[in-house]
Amino acid sequence: MNEIIEITLRSIYVSGLATLLSLSISIPSAYYLSRNSGIARVVIPVFEALIGVPTVFIGLTLYMLLSTRGPLGFLKLLYTPYAIIIGESILVFPLITAVIYRVMHITWVTYGELAITLGANERQTLMLIAKQALPGIIAASIMGFSRAIGELGIALLVGGNIRGYTRVLTTAIALEVSKGSFEVALTLGLILIVTVLSFSALSRVIERWYGL
Amino acid sequence: MGYKTILILLLILLSISMIVLFTNKFSMTCESIRVRVATTTSLYATGLLDYLADKFVDRIKEKYGCNTILAFMPLGSGEALRRAENGDACLVLVHAPSLEKEYISKGVLTDGHIFAYNYFIIVGPKEDPANVSHSSNVVEAFRRIYLAGELGKVKFISRGDRSGTNVRELMIWGLTGLNPKGKPWYIETGSGMGKTLLVANEFNAYTLSDIGTFLKFKSKGRIPNLVILYSNDTELINIYSAYIVSTCSGVEKSIASDFIKFLIGDAQELIAKYGIHVYGQPLFYPVKSKTEWLSKIWSVLSSG
Repeated sequence: MNEIIEITLRSIYVSGLATLLSLSISIPSAYYLSRNSGIARVVIPVFEALIGVPTVFIGLTLYMLLSTRGPLGFLKLLYTPYAIIIGESILVFPLITAVIYRVMHITWVTYGELAITLGANERQTLMLIAKQALPGIIAASIMGFSRAIGELGIALLVGGNIRGYTRVLTTAIALEVSKGSFEVALTLGLILIVTVLSFSALSRVIERWYGL
Repeated sequence: MGYKTILILLLILLSISMIVLFTNKFSMTCESIRVRVATTTSLYATGLLDYLADKFVDRIKEKYGCNTILAFMPLGSGEALRRAENGDACLVLVHAPSLEKEYISKGVLTDGHIFAYNYFIIVGPKEDPANVSHSSNVVEAFRRIYLAGELGKVKFISRGDRSGTNVRELMIWGLTGLNPKGKPWYIETGSGMGKTLLVANEFNAYTLSDIGTFLKFKSKGRIPNLVILYSNDTELINIYSAYIVSTCSGVEKSIASDFIKFLIGDAQELIAKYGIHVYGQPLFYPVKSKTEWLSKIWSVLSSG
């Protein structure tokens, strides 16, 4: 039972950090793209297509990079939770950016130009757009978190499914299935779903709280 | 909500992820030593390794201090060896003699020791339409499956994943002189032993399994249609070996060596008893006093 709680908390920690890491790059990128529609017209369709990229592919690529013999082997990140965090943030980056871009783009068209004609400076415009786009950013974060916590390929390949260190919900499910313990696997699956749902509910509460 | 809040939120996002990443990594006062062990799934999924590791870590606490952790990565033998070659494991526990030999000659594996063995078995439907249970040897058993398969009476499920079990299965097909690849009755799952057994159960088909995984799934009632149809003490022996990877060094290497010493020493008794109270028979057999006999079989198997 303790182990299940530990695995669940690790899953939340790893995928949560991956989402935050990705957000810190996604928000500026999406803002930049919403102001430069020429580039966005090329980049956004690519990002949208990349949303479905197989996680094993990202996992294997990252494994080759982080492997002791790989170009980034000196970082000693392979088989650590940090490797999973990096992999999952790469995984969710296109998804989060594409969603935030859509929201920011609409906000820009609706309010941005108006704000500038009314005399707002660049910083004020940025703040206005960020504020108006906040519900979209929260929604994108939940999608990203859900995608990250539910993926298996990256966690398995660069995490190694090490007990008490890199074992997360999805890799634990895979292991329990291979052991034939289907009941445990199903329980873990339900915990995963409940976790994702409660984070989604929590985001709604926060939105209400701030009257967004 | 003012724009200051948004600014702060953005800054927090940027910093939290970075700070947590790094403080966590470097704030450890006593850094734990992690020995990377790439192991075959069939060994890990029985729970034997975690059980042995707990006993082992208790013993070496004084010698190495701090926090020693054996980090097991359950993989197929093929993948485990490939990762070892890349330098991403320090110790490997595998059961594929012919693959092991390949990696020994590449200079990847050193200091090999056989530490346990058990058996492969041919399992299949109770009705046994291919009459496998009447075979006098394993090659005949596979020939019977091939024949019945050609007649459309049975199916054979193969792992198809270059695991130890898969390597052995292909070796036996090689001995029969028959090639089942591409036949409609020969199904490759490309997945682990557990899933392969489930597929065999669904199709009422035959497959080659290690005894441990079979007993585990059987006792849980997952594979009611399957029974053991052929087993043999010598032909179908399944040998588990431990190796140190040549790129491994330092404390990690000396702990890994100690673990191998433990495996072939005091752990032998624990291995012999493991699983008896659950399955009514041991899942693995100790190698003590049989090392010579096993090494001989190993060399025959490795030249496959």
